[in-house]
Amino acid sequence: MQHDDVVWAIINKTHCSHKVTTKTQHFCRNEYNLTGLCSRASCPLANSKYATIREENGIIYLYMKTAERVMFPAKQWEKVKLSRNFEKAIYQINENLLYWPAFIKAKCKQRFVKITQYLIRMRKLKLRRVKELVPIQRKIERRERRREEKALVAARIDNAIEKQLLERLKKGTYNDIYNFPQMAFDAALKAEEVSGESESEKEDDEEEEMEIEPELERELQKTVEETDEFVEADSDMDSDAESDSGRKENVDVRSDFESETSDIEDMAVKKISRKKPRVEIEYETEPIASVSRKKIKN
Amino acid sequence: MSLSIARPLVSVYSEKSEVVAGSSIALPFVFKAPIRPDLVNDVHVSMSKNSRQPYCVSKEAGHQTSAESWGTGRAVARIPRVRGGGTHRSGQGAFGNMCRGGRMFAPTKPWRRWHRRVNLRQRRAAAAAAVAAAGVPALVQARGHIIEKIPELPLVVSDKVQEITKTKQAVIFLRRIKAWSDVLKVYKSQRLRAGKGKMRNRRRVQRKGPLIIYYKDQGLTRAFRNIPGVDLLKVDKLNLLKLAPGGHVGRFIIWTQSAFERLDALFGSWKTPSKEKKNFNLPQPKMANTDLTRLLKSEEIRKVLRAPNKRVIRSTRKLNPLTNSKAMLRLNPFSAVLRRKAVLDQQRKNNQRALALAEKRGIKLSPKDPAVRAEKIRERRQKLLKLAAAKKTKKPAAKKTAPPPPKKKAAKEAKAKTPAPKK
Repeated sequence: MQHDDVVWAIINKTHCSHKVTTKTQHFCRNEYNLTGLCSRASCPLANSKYATIREENGIIYLYMKTAERVMFPAKQWEKVKLSRNFEKAIYQINENLLYWPAFIKAKCKQRFVKITQYLIRMRKLKLRRVKELVPIQRKIERRERRREEKALVAARIDNAIEKQLLERLKKGTYNDIYNFPQMAFDAALKAEEVSGESESEKEDDEEEEMEIEPELERELQKTVEETDEFVEADSDMDSDAESDSGRKENVDVRSDFESETSDIEDMAVKKISRKKPRVEIEYETEPIASVSRKKIKN
Repeated sequence: MSLSIARPLVSVYSEKSEVVAGSSIALPFVFKAPIRPDLVNDVHVSMSKNSRQPYCVSKEAGHQTSAESWGTGRAVARIPRVRGGGTHRSGQGAFGNMCRGGRMFAPTKPWRRWHRRVNLRQRRAAAAAAVAAAGVPALVQARGHIIEKIPELPLVVSDKVQEITKTKQAVIFLRRIKAWSDVLKVYKSQRLRAGKGKMRNRRRVQRKGPLIIYYKDQGLTRAFRNIPGVDLLKVDKLNLLKLAPGGHVGRFIIWTQSAFERLDALFGSWKTPSKEKKNFNLPQPKMANTDLTRLLKSEEIRKVLRAPNKRVIRSTRKLNPLTNSKAMLRLNPFSAVLRRKAVLDQQRKNNQRALALAEKRGIKLSPKDPAVRAEKIRERRQKLLKLAAAKKTKKPAAKKTAPPPPKKKAAKEAKAKTPAPKK
């Protein structure tokens, strides 16, 4: 009691960590505060004789603090469980706070009423299905989104897919089911017959093929892009060459994708054939592409 | 803060946070010293300046050019400009604080007064105030420490704590006396500093935890120093920057028993000066009894005051009597009579005019016409009045018992007679 006014003077004027100020009001975030406002009569720190109503897991208690116990923080608050019957509880409050200041008595009862009301409301809500609103934390959302993007880039999925496919090829899960275009296949067979390669060498070849392929793929991607550039111009110029393309319709019946792979195969077969006895095989699958390739090479 | 209070006893707790039976120490007088948050803040501000390192800009910064003003007549501003040519820099402004590459306004100098000296008495008084405030649970809580579960405040622990060597034991000790939640709060508050301090070796920030004040270090410092937030202090060298961090009083302090007993020797009491501090006595409080509310309600003071002036003056709205009839009535009740009379007179006049007009024009008015009826009523009344007057004159003796009615009748007569001549 002796200290109350001193404590209030210090808390109010200098620093109280529970105080929250807004433009119009001062709030108190102390969990034992009766009204939630920061004021002389409702500060639990500045009043050595104080009482609150608090609820824990749906059970409402009356907490009381007296000047004698202020120095022993562990034993400071006396806890009284209130009856579940409203009127009995009010009677209990009145009894326990018999000679207490009227402000505390009144506010305790008001708080008790409010708590019972919100508990009732909570119970009602539980019976219904309520959509739960989850606030979005902007900073976290932004951060996570950016990190997802970075992770996506860092994962380099294309490379991983490539590697996986190649591994599967190596393993043989495709059981040599690979769509070679007819011409390329025949040519490859011929090449094998001519060279008289052993199967082990074949396997090496295949492996080399595989190993070369990604690089070839990349080169071809570049060439394809460049061919795309050229395509528009050449299509106008090479009207005569279309007769050639007509001849090759057997090849062109298949999708463009396969024609590209046929290019890959051509490249691979070409290079392999160079390594072994030189049998140069030239294929004119798409005159446009081959023309452009010749252009590039020359 | 009352000087006459009996000194309460503070029990000592073992390192397992059980009360050590039989050992309780009387509260040292420091804890009754006046708590002066303003003084503590001032001293803290000055003291925290003492660990500063000087900073300044280079002496020649901005002056390492031989620039000269071109003067007037060249259609350029008169700021000194760099000489020479062949480079971007030539002709640019130099030397001024407004120029790019010029020296700043008032370049910072290293001979700025970085340190402050504080008077010894103020320092000691501030330390006493900070220690006193640490003994008030409300202030410690207001500062933000979590002390819900500690057994007592001021918290005094046995000297065995000074012999703790392992941090693990230190943590166990803090947990046992329920001071660990304060340390947990420190953990939760660890974050990166906002601002440029990050790149100036002040990267991480955290709040303060409990302060442990000991007398003799037998391994205590090394056990506790790695726990975040925990500070160690020797009783003989109490540091205000640790007792009231941020200038705010009320740090959570854990005392060892020997340290606690030493406080009396250090600070003394009001009657006995301090033994260790030369020429020092605890500061006198301005008020012996600080309970202002109780004082103001006490009999001694109330008796001397005059009675309170409880007259309430309420402002009323002014109503114009000339327009507001009720306001007029309040001022002059007879105005009702006058008004009524005026109304009646007007009515009578209208009726007479109507009758006269009818006679003049020779129109026979119907008996239901208001003027005609009013006339008839009047005539009837006058007859009755005459009869009453006649009766009155016949029996004067019998009428003694009822004086008021005759007065009324006389008034009526007067009224009846006065309109008669008017008629």
